[in-house]
Amino acid sequence: MESKPTMTTSNLVLPKKPTGLKRFAMKLLEQRVLVLMSIPFLAWLFIFKYMPLWGWTIAFQDYKPAKSFGEQKWVGFDHFQFLFQDERFIRVLRNTLAMSGINLVLGFVTAITLALLLNEVRKVAFKRIVQTVSYLPHFISWVVAASIIQTTLSPDGIINEMLLWFGFLEKGEEILFLGIPEYFWGIFGAGSVWKDVGWNTIVYLAAMTMIDPAQYEAAEMDGAGRIKRMWYVTLPGIKPVIIVLLIMNIGYLLESGFEPQYLLGNGMNIDYSENLDIFVLKYGIAQGNYSLSIAGGMFKTIISFILLFAANNLAKRMGESRLF
Amino acid sequence: MTKKLLFICMAAFMVITAACSNNNNGGDTKTSNSTNTPKETAAEETTKPVEKVTFSYFNGVAAAKDTNSNETTIGKILEDQTGVNFKIEHLVGDLNTKIGTMIASNAYPDVMLPDAAIDKILDAGAFIALDDLIEQYGPNIKRVYGSYFNQMKAEDGKIYFLPFSNTVGEYIPDPNINQGAFWIQRRVLKEAGYPEIKTLDAYFDLIKNFVEKHKDEDLTGMVSLTHDWRFFATSNPPNHLAGYPNDGNVIVDMTTFDAKTYAADDNTKRWLQKLNELNADNLFDKASFVDNYDQYLAKLTSHKVVGFFDYGWQFSNAQNALKDAAKQDPTQDDFVYFPLPVTFDGQKDQYLDPPGFVKNRGLGITKSAKDPARIIQYLDNLLTDENQILQRWGIKGDTFEVDDKGRMYRTAEQIVKIDESFNEKFGFKYYSWNWPLYGNGSSLPDGNSVAPGLQPEVFQMSLTNEDKTILEKYGVKTYAELFAAPDDRPWYPAWGIPKEQGSEQQIWETKKDEITKKYFPKLVLAKPADFEKVWTEYITAFGKLDTAAYESWTTTEVKKLIEAAK
Repeated sequence: MESKPTMTTSNLVLPKKPTGLKRFAMKLLEQRVLVLMSIPFLAWLFIFKYMPLWGWTIAFQDYKPAKSFGEQKWVGFDHFQFLFQDERFIRVLRNTLAMSGINLVLGFVTAITLALLLNEVRKVAFKRIVQTVSYLPHFISWVVAASIIQTTLSPDGIINEMLLWFGFLEKGEEILFLGIPEYFWGIFGAGSVWKDVGWNTIVYLAAMTMIDPAQYEAAEMDGAGRIKRMWYVTLPGIKPVIIVLLIMNIGYLLESGFEPQYLLGNGMNIDYSENLDIFVLKYGIAQGNYSLSIAGGMFKTIISFILLFAANNLAKRMGESRLF
Repeated sequence: MTKKLLFICMAAFMVITAACSNNNNGGDTKTSNSTNTPKETAAEETTKPVEKVTFSYFNGVAAAKDTNSNETTIGKILEDQTGVNFKIEHLVGDLNTKIGTMIASNAYPDVMLPDAAIDKILDAGAFIALDDLIEQYGPNIKRVYGSYFNQMKAEDGKIYFLPFSNTVGEYIPDPNINQGAFWIQRRVLKEAGYPEIKTLDAYFDLIKNFVEKHKDEDLTGMVSLTHDWRFFATSNPPNHLAGYPNDGNVIVDMTTFDAKTYAADDNTKRWLQKLNELNADNLFDKASFVDNYDQYLAKLTSHKVVGFFDYGWQFSNAQNALKDAAKQDPTQDDFVYFPLPVTFDGQKDQYLDPPGFVKNRGLGITKSAKDPARIIQYLDNLLTDENQILQRWGIKGDTFEVDDKGRMYRTAEQIVKIDESFNEKFGFKYYSWNWPLYGNGSSLPDGNSVAPGLQPEVFQMSLTNEDKTILEKYGVKTYAELFAAPDDRPWYPAWGIPKEQGSEQQIWETKKDEITKKYFPKLVLAKPADFEKVWTEYITAFGKLDTAAYESWTTTEVKKLIEAAK
């Protein structure tokens, strides 16, 4: 990060560019203000992001809070073994990946579609209303949202009532939506979309305003209709944003969320609703087995790390814009 | 295990509510003579001019306004006696998080009551051993807890905290049903002519007939609570139906004292099969398996649910709402729920709690405490007869009266006066539980109940005319009389046996919960023809757990407790 003015000055004063350590020291001196300004942030990064990594050692111990570090019993990979050998782990991992996958795909498709549609709306008042209405659920906590979903789906809820009314069901045959394990992912997906679709459009709408209007005019002159303009102008225009968001989200693939699964899950749908976070909560934190929870957390971090780099690399190879 | 904790909190709540709601009882003017040695200490204390100190006290169970103990009437009197004030802090938010933070920072309040997280606190070595302090400063603690010392000792033989469920004096049973029972709307009994219901079949027939007769009312025959850790309201009944009290996951044989789990035995099968039949007849609310606790309570207050099994403390919010409505309008009494001692075949029921001793909850002094001696003296001073009366009954002439026979009671005005805000100001809210005390069911030397709520005179006064009518129809004076007296079970409750964090037993319980939560709904909602098939699936899944190890561990612990109680 050399700054231009520095370069010129040094060139003027010293015709021969200093090299190595000397050059570094000089630069440091010249940019001391910048360096000073960055120190607090480096310290913050170090204290809050790197120091806690020390805590990973807990995963390799039979950790007891009362004992000092030296007194802890080291158990190697025992906790990882417990985690990976448990037959439920595969199931829990499957649920985690499936639910984040659903979230990722549905989230992207719906948010981009809604943003495209909103972008085409010419009546400002209508656009504002749609935006406000679709943002609203984002601000409800999951606790409330889960209650709404539960009530809607209960045997005497509105969905069953409607099915009865249209004659799809007989009285007494009401469907226990949350009691059918296979439905859970669908309910989760629909719930997440309802809650977050409006919010997710914001960034795309912002990206769309950056597109040069001349492109639209040119397309129109060439005889492109609305759909064609959306397809050939708007979408390519926001492609970089989409890719960057996609890469970031892939890094979060093991974070399928905690609250919706915890709140909507029950004994009947546990085979499909229990994800990694709930599993760790149940067998780690709730039992005071901190080591196991750390092992679970480590596993998640490492996988996320790998996924993030893989996605970024892929984008690089495909010649697309990327994160770093 | 969370449920156990909850039990305890609830128990605490009940006591508090009971203490506040009932009033009248007779009095104990003369109680003081029994108080014994401690008086001397107390006297000494008062004569010496003592320096005033303030300690911090953390309460992980109850929810109340944080305060200084000397801002309450009771606390002020105690401060005058001892010079000690407590800054009382209550839990806000999640207990485990709060306790976890304390452990991580290694800074604790002077005195604390970690409730469900007590294992973590003990694991962290946060409590100091009390033995020497009790020896030196605790004559009353010795008198009140002495017979329990064996049970209170940790593995290293030391005592780290004082539990609350000790009994002092003669045992006085609770006239209300705060524990398990099969409940039914009073109108059902009224319509059927107050029949005696002893068996599960009779109970279900009663529900069935009533729903059939009232087809137009859109009634629900039965619901069941399954939400989260409260699932035991659905998984415990087989144990009660077989004639055992709530020992958690096990039935303890009364002759061999072997602990056997019942989650997959014939009792459970029989119970679930009955529910399955009920469901096939459209009398069982399917939504029971997806509803949360709030939805469940809402259903109970909707007047539509005819019957259910639950523990009194667990649905007391709903029952109190129904009772309040009935007080305003006697016709609403129809919808109040009445407890029935139902068993499979009419064998002797054991719904009432035997005088048990919960060993894994209590109050301890932490290693952060500056002056443990002052604290233990304060705690010891609480355990005199006079101060127990002060803590539970209040001040004579103000919050209770004593008649010429020495019975303590409360006048109607006093009853009205003692409401929630009075409780806070006076200190009942902070002192009637969560301190070393004479536990529930204890009595004073003159025979008065320590807890106003358990004083028969107080209970009688709280009854409405309708309550009296229905009790009279069954020929009893209290609800508890409907039930058989509890047998002596020195280990009770077996769920209160402390388990180590992350131990095999805890993991067994977690896994068992998971399996039962998954299969019980399937079993109940299956087509009756498929029941056997699903049951086999369930047994296979359950068979993977190391149940034998859990049972033998529990058996060993139970036997230890029997030994300790001898």
